Amino acid sequence: MASVHESLYFNPMMTNGVVHANIFGIKDWVTPYKIAVLVLLHEMSTTKPMALLDRRRLNKLILPLQQGPDLTLEQFLKIVEECCLRMVNAVKLRLLLMADGELQDMEHFFTILPNAFSDSEAFKTSVVGLFMRQMLLAYNKLSFSQVYKLYKSLQQYCHHGNQPELSALPAEDMELTSNEDPSADHIDKDELDTASLHQSELRSEGITRGPLSQKQAEYFLARQAYLLKNDENKAMSPAKLQDELNNILKFNPDFAEAHYLSYLNSIRVQDIYISTHSLLHYFDRLILSGGEGKSNGDEGYGRSLRYAVLNLATLHCRFGHYQQADLALQEAIRIAQEANDHVCLQHCLSWLYTLEQLKGSDSVVLTEDSVKIAAHFCLPYLASLGIQSLVKQGAKQGMPANKLLDALRGTDIMHWKQSLSELIEISLAQTTSIWRMYGKSTMARQQAQLLLNMNSLEPVNFSVQQNNTEAFAVALCHLAELHAEQGLYAVVSDILKHLKQQFPPHTQHAKLWMLCDLKIQFEKAMNDGKYHLAEPHVTAISALNSTEGLYRKAQLLKALNRTSEASKILQQLQQQCEKSKNIEMTIRVMLASAELHWDSSGFATALPLLLKALSLSRQHNLQSLTSETLLHLAFTQLMLGIPEQALVLVQDVLESVLAHGSLIDKGRALLLAARCQMALAGAAAQEHRLTALEQAVHTLDEAAVYFSQLDCKERMRDIHYLQARLHHTLGNIAQRNKCSMLFRLLDQELPSSGMTVVSHL
Amino acid sequence: DLSNSSIVTLASELAVSLDALPLNEIPAAPELTEEDARDLDALCLAKSHFELKEYDRAAYFLRGCRSQKAYFLYMYSRYLSGEKKKDDETVDSLGPLEKGQVRNEALRELRVELSKKHSAGELDGFALYLYGVVLRKLDLLKEAVEIFVAATHALPLHWGSWLELCNLITNIEMLKSLSLPECWVRDFFMAHMFTELQMIKEALQKYQSLMEAGFAKSTYIISQIAVAYHNIRDIDQALYLFNELREQDPFRIENMDTFSNLLYVRSMKPELSYLAHNLVEIDKYRVETCCVIGNYYSLRSQHEKAALYFQRALKLNPRCLGAWTLMGHEYMEMKNTSAAIQAYRHAIEVNKRDYRAWYGLGQTYEILKMPFYSLYYYRKAHHLRPNDSRMLVALGECYEKLSQQVEAKKCYWRAYSVGDVERMALLKLAKLHEQLNESDDAAQCYIIYIQDIFSCGEQLEHAEVSTALRYLGQYYFKNKLYDEASLCAQRCCDYNDAREEGKALLRQISAVREQGEPSSTDLSLACVFNPLINTTTPVRRASPLDLSSVTP
Repeated sequence: MASVHESLYFNPMMTNGVVHANIFGIKDWVTPYKIAVLVLLHEMSTTKPMALLDRRRLNKLILPLQQGPDLTLEQFLKIVEECCLRMVNAVKLRLLLMADGELQDMEHFFTILPNAFSDSEAFKTSVVGLFMRQMLLAYNKLSFSQVYKLYKSLQQYCHHGNQPELSALPAEDMELTSNEDPSADHIDKDELDTASLHQSELRSEGITRGPLSQKQAEYFLARQAYLLKNDENKAMSPAKLQDELNNILKFNPDFAEAHYLSYLNSIRVQDIYISTHSLLHYFDRLILSGGEGKSNGDEGYGRSLRYAVLNLATLHCRFGHYQQADLALQEAIRIAQEANDHVCLQHCLSWLYTLEQLKGSDSVVLTEDSVKIAAHFCLPYLASLGIQSLVKQGAKQGMPANKLLDALRGTDIMHWKQSLSELIEISLAQTTSIWRMYGKSTMARQQAQLLLNMNSLEPVNFSVQQNNTEAFAVALCHLAELHAEQGLYAVVSDILKHLKQQFPPHTQHAKLWMLCDLKIQFEKAMNDGKYHLAEPHVTAISALNSTEGLYRKAQLLKALNRTSEASKILQQLQQQCEKSKNIEMTIRVMLASAELHWDSSGFATALPLLLKALSLSRQHNLQSLTSETLLHLAFTQLMLGIPEQALVLVQDVLESVLAHGSLIDKGRALLLAARCQMALAGAAAQEHRLTALEQAVHTLDEAAVYFSQLDCKERMRDIHYLQARLHHTLGNIAQRNKCSMLFRLLDQELPSSGMTVVSHL
Repeated sequence: DLSNSSIVTLASELAVSLDALPLNEIPAAPELTEEDARDLDALCLAKSHFELKEYDRAAYFLRGCRSQKAYFLYMYSRYLSGEKKKDDETVDSLGPLEKGQVRNEALRELRVELSKKHSAGELDGFALYLYGVVLRKLDLLKEAVEIFVAATHALPLHWGSWLELCNLITNIEMLKSLSLPECWVRDFFMAHMFTELQMIKEALQKYQSLMEAGFAKSTYIISQIAVAYHNIRDIDQALYLFNELREQDPFRIENMDTFSNLLYVRSMKPELSYLAHNLVEIDKYRVETCCVIGNYYSLRSQHEKAALYFQRALKLNPRCLGAWTLMGHEYMEMKNTSAAIQAYRHAIEVNKRDYRAWYGLGQTYEILKMPFYSLYYYRKAHHLRPNDSRMLVALGECYEKLSQQVEAKKCYWRAYSVGDVERMALLKLAKLHEQLNESDDAAQCYIIYIQDIFSCGEQLEHAEVSTALRYLGQYYFKNKLYDEASLCAQRCCDYNDAREEGKALLRQISAVREQGEPSSTDLSLACVFNPLINTTTPVRRASPLDLSSVTP
């Protein structure tokens, strides 16, 4: 910092209290590395006959060489060598000639440089042409001492990289270099002397490593910011990026964009202190540059003020400080209103409803307003964001499915027209979620696959194949859960592994897959009857999502026969869900309470609960929950002694369960059907009895297939028991014995549950 | 003595404090060693070149010398030569980003050579000092601290090493952890350090004991004490000391910017004008002079000119922190908020701990009607000066604007508790309570406010005693404490803006008394005359106001 300000010492450019960072309006200047690139370009244009493949490779090289940070000569030559061996020798020769010659040689090079391009394919406005002209301009503006300095640094550049080779060169060359920088040699020797010296020397080396020109710095920042947004894993690690930013800021404290990137970077590591600091610093700087850059000075200045506050609001929102965010947002709205800035107001409004949603209150009206006004002011992004938010809320409140999907499709058309790839992704992920919520697993799978197989539409794609945005995380989580439902645990672990890689635990969306992973593991442990394994998962789930955690806890307690505790938790949960209008969870809780009633043989008391759950789930189009409820109802009816009705219900629902349900649901439905059939067979006349019983055996066999796929031993035991009984009645002694043996094996293996076989679904 | 005198130019502070020594025990000049004698000619020549700022030339003639002094001068010339070249280089650096990269190329060589000598134990105090400076310039702060401590041990009387050390110490724990030589200079250092760390009381104690120990005439100490008083905003004391200082040392320019700040705060136009003219006569191209003139113009509300002079000060020394902040203030006055923000940001870059700049940023954003945004800056400022009521009041105002009354109340109360400088906190608190219809609390605050205003004796221009009295009158009237009410109403009549209301209230009281039951007045009278018996009134109820000692 100190040196920067000392450099203002003679600064004549300070007017009106503002120091102009960029005095000459040049964003780039000549460095030895740039000369090397120029030499390469020059050689490329002068050597006419060149293999097509070589030329193509070299052409591809030009842009990264221009935009990247300065390389050492060795690195540079190595890269060129990989493309074209002949070229590298020419470039090296030319550079060394220049460096070993006189100042005149460099000047000569710059005078002949434009000639080479005048008749070649490099147009004045092409990337190469612009670069070359910029360099020439920058070179021509150099003063005498600057030219001399440039030449000195070119000599240093050429010989520093070539030191090992130099030893082989004749002695006169050695003299040249030793004259130039005795200090460098001196230091090199001394570095070996003391270890501590060596270390700190390395450190200072590291600091001075990246002398980026403004162009290079801008490119660097843009690239990193893009990666942070789309694929965090490919960006630099937070610590390293911060080092780099500090480096840039040290050389140019007025480089406001670096502060913004530092804000993004510290958000990554959840550092509220530095992120607030950087954000405010950025806007403090921006306010200046905005103020003078625009012709309508006041407008640009006031505008950045508004967005500054808005950004502060988002920052607080991100860290979950809703009250602070609210205050900041109100401030932004007030300023925007005073300035009549409708666009900013729209952004504020969209944040306002987001905030309301985050706080858990109803914001449909706000969102609708936002969409309307956004459409009026032609802000497609905000409008469709609003629509998506509305769809989300509508889905939760049981809006008709056709309307929701229609709305999504309508916005999709607009997204494709405007290439809003981000929104397309969100829309696909949202459709996946909606289908999943409705219990149409096939449709959900299809949508998720659609998203995953989509190519990114981003124009600048820094070799990012798949973005790691929230949409992708959501889709992948759904896929994992869907596969887990079908018992494909190997695939699930693959998906989760990918998720872990794409979204490392410290990142923003990591919680999504963590929860998903835990849920899957919990379900698995519960199906296997390993309750002791499920218990730690409950704690972990509650840490991520308290409602879900409570529900799982109730389930676990119920399975452990601690009914009174379970019912207490369920009641509590019921209240919570009614408050937050979480319909899905409400229905689940109702089902769980009904199951509790069964345990105390209160089948009649379970009925009203189940009926209520049924009406709720039908109202919200939740198909999987509807069929689940129907199964529950059928079971209750069976227990109440009306198997005919029960069988009708089961058969009604069986089709959709087999089509969309999870493996365990399929097995359970079939098991229930078999038991209804058994019960009916008991009451039927003698001649029908045998066929009915055989049908039941058959159904049980089918159910057994599903359960064995899941390796669900408890259920298998039930099935074997029932089958043994049936075979006994049918008189198939051998079959009976086999089944009863299987039953006995499983029974010995499993801890004896207090429940009798019949008392659960 | 040659090398000593060259150092004295480095550290005139030392000379100043030495001047104050009683002259009876001048230490005998140290014997010239053989080496010194051999190098004497070269040293004299080099010294002349050095003083002509031909550093490379000086270094060249000293390259073969072996004595310690010559070695120091040799290295020091090389260092300064590098610095000079660096400054020249910045003018025509290649590009804006490269500007920051211009470095003193000599530093690394110097460091290597010095570290070799250091590990061999061949460095004397001066050379150690130079080594430390080199390390600091290379941003190797930890090592630099070690070397400076060693330098103070080797040569405790060299104030330069102490000063460098002072810049590197950031907190009191660090200060305590260092092992410093036992010497009288150490006391100077500690006092200076305490001032830097805003531990003004300790600093004043140290200076007091130093004055008692025989440095009573030292202008340095007087100026330091004055600055310390300035920091704790004891303006009268500071002004007195500065006046004394100017009598003793009329051509002094150092610290005069602080003096001008004080005069500015007190709006003493003629004194400030006199000071400015005087300083211009002494040396008009000094940072301090420019700051004084800037303050002078600012006081005369010629803000453009003021900003111009602060800019000139910054051209003379871009690291002059005060000027950046003051320039920010000027731009604020000129309503050029963006320039103000830039100026404040520069100040913060020079010194992150500059609370005035943070406070200024907060004020700027408050002017832009962004109270929530300015909260952050005020909080920063408050963090740096936890016991400064101004930040707390500013914070409270922001919270009030955001209708966060609870926080606002806390801020105001805290501002009052830490010793309110502007005496505004209580008034604001009272008004806040008034708005929230917490009449008891409001009355309580007004009472303390009135007592506070009258006890401090001086007349404050923004004092709103009449508002307080008016409210209290109404409050007592509502609570049927008619005697207190009438007392307040009578006091109200002393003020122009509240006279009518006071009279009206008096009429109301007499009307109520005429028709109302006399027994209640008896009761309340008893309460007034025997406050000790008055135990039945609720605790929250404001106690009757004792205005007998009040002399408006």
